[in-house]
Amino acid sequence: MSEKVKIIPCSGIGKVFGLMAREAALETVHELCPDTSETVCLAYIVTGDEDAREKITGHNCITVDGCPKMCAAKNVSLAGGIIIEEIKVLDTVKEHKGKQFGSPSQLSADGEAVVIEIATKIAKKTNK
Amino acid sequence: MLENYVILPCNGLDKCAGRISGQLAIKLSENADNVIICPVFYRVSETKYNKLAAERKLLVIDGCRTQCASKLAAEKNLKISRKIIIADEAKNRNVELTDNLRIQEKEQAIIDTLFNDLNKSDDAAVTPSGDELISYDFVYETFQVGKFIFRIPKNKEVYFNENDCWAYVVGNRARVGVTDYVQQNLSDILYFNPPEIGAEIDQFGELGEIESSKALVELISPVSGRVVAVNETLVQKPEMINENPYELGWIAELELTNFESDKELLIGFDKYFTITQKRAEDANV
Repeated sequence: MSEKVKIIPCSGIGKVFGLMAREAALETVHELCPDTSETVCLAYIVTGDEDAREKITGHNCITVDGCPKMCAAKNVSLAGGIIIEEIKVLDTVKEHKGKQFGSPSQLSADGEAVVIEIATKIAKKTNK
Repeated sequence: MLENYVILPCNGLDKCAGRISGQLAIKLSENADNVIICPVFYRVSETKYNKLAAERKLLVIDGCRTQCASKLAAEKNLKISRKIIIADEAKNRNVELTDNLRIQEKEQAIIDTLFNDLNKSDDAAVTPSGDELISYDFVYETFQVGKFIFRIPKNKEVYFNENDCWAYVVGNRARVGVTDYVQQNLSDILYFNPPEIGAEIDQFGELGEIESSKALVELISPVSGRVVAVNETLVQKPEMINENPYELGWIAELELTNFESDKELLIGFDKYFTITQKRAEDANV
C-alpha cells in the first residue's frame, strides 16, 4: 500500500474559515479517505517536533488554509513537505456568496455543507 | 470576570482535549475583552501578538501534557499569569476524554465549568504559581545493580552530560539536576548550595554544590544560560535529591542562551543508559 497523504490544515483558531479548514481536513481523514490520508498537527510542525517533521519531510502533503496568510502552506513547505495541492477555503467560500457559515466555534448548516464540498475536493486530490 | 487577557490555546487539531482547549479560548474571547493568540501564526509572525502580550495578562490553555502552548510561551519569553491543562482538569473532574473530536455534552460541560471557574476571580484555583507554570513529566527506564536501582528518564527532551547532570529542555528553558547515579554514589545528601538567581552560567560551568558524608560534588551545568529559578526547598531538605533527583530534587531552571550549540556536547537517553549501566556494574565488581 502506498503511503498516506498528509492533510494539514491551518490552526484556524478564532475564525470561521479557519474552523472550516480544520473540519474539512478532519472530514477527509476520518470519513472520506481514512485509508489514504492522515493529518499532522501544524503546531507540532512549527515547533520543530522531530516526529511531526519526519512525517512530512519529502512526503506528499495537501495544505488547507482558512485565510490569505497561508500559514499551513508556508510552514509545511518550510519543513520540507511536498505540497501536491494548496487548498484555500476562501476559493470555495466565494462560490457561495451571501451565505452565513457560522461562528468560530460552531458552523451553520451552510458552513457544514461547504466543509463537505471542500473535503470532497481534498479527497479527489488525495486519491488522484 | 476574566478580562483583558491574551489567551494562548494549543493548536488542538486531532485530540479531544485540544479541541476543548480551542473552544474554551473562543468562549472566553466571545464573552469578554480577551484576545486569542493563534499558536501557529505567532511562530511565524511575532509582531502582531508581542504588543498584546506585553500589555495584557496571559492565560495558557494546553490540551494535553505535551504542553505545546506552554512551550511556545516559554520560547517567546512570555510571562504566564494563568495556565490550565485540559487533560488534567478532565481527570480532576473524573471525566474520561475519548477520541471523539466533536464537542458533545460531556465536553461542553467541561468547557462551561472551566469558563465559570476562570471567571470567578483572578486568583481562581486553576492558577498555578512559580515553577509550576511549566510541568516536567518524566518517563523512566530502570536497571538494578546489586541492591541499587537506577532510574533514568527516557524523554527525548532530557539530555545528559558526562558529569551525570541532566537538562529537561522545554522551549528556551531547561530544568537541570543530577541523576540517580550521583545520588546513589553520594548516599545521604546533607547540604545543598544553590546557584544565584540571575547568574550567567556557561555550559560545564558550576551550578551549585551538593555534599554528603562521602564527598562534595560541584554540579556541572549541562547547558548554558541564565538562572531563572532554583529549588529553594533543597536548602532545608537536601535529602529530596536522594528521594527523587529528577522531580522533587531538581536543582535549577535556566533560560537557555546557546542550546543548539550545547546540544552537540550532550547525550540522549540511549547512550547515557548504556554508559551508566556499565559503570554501575563495573563499580559493583
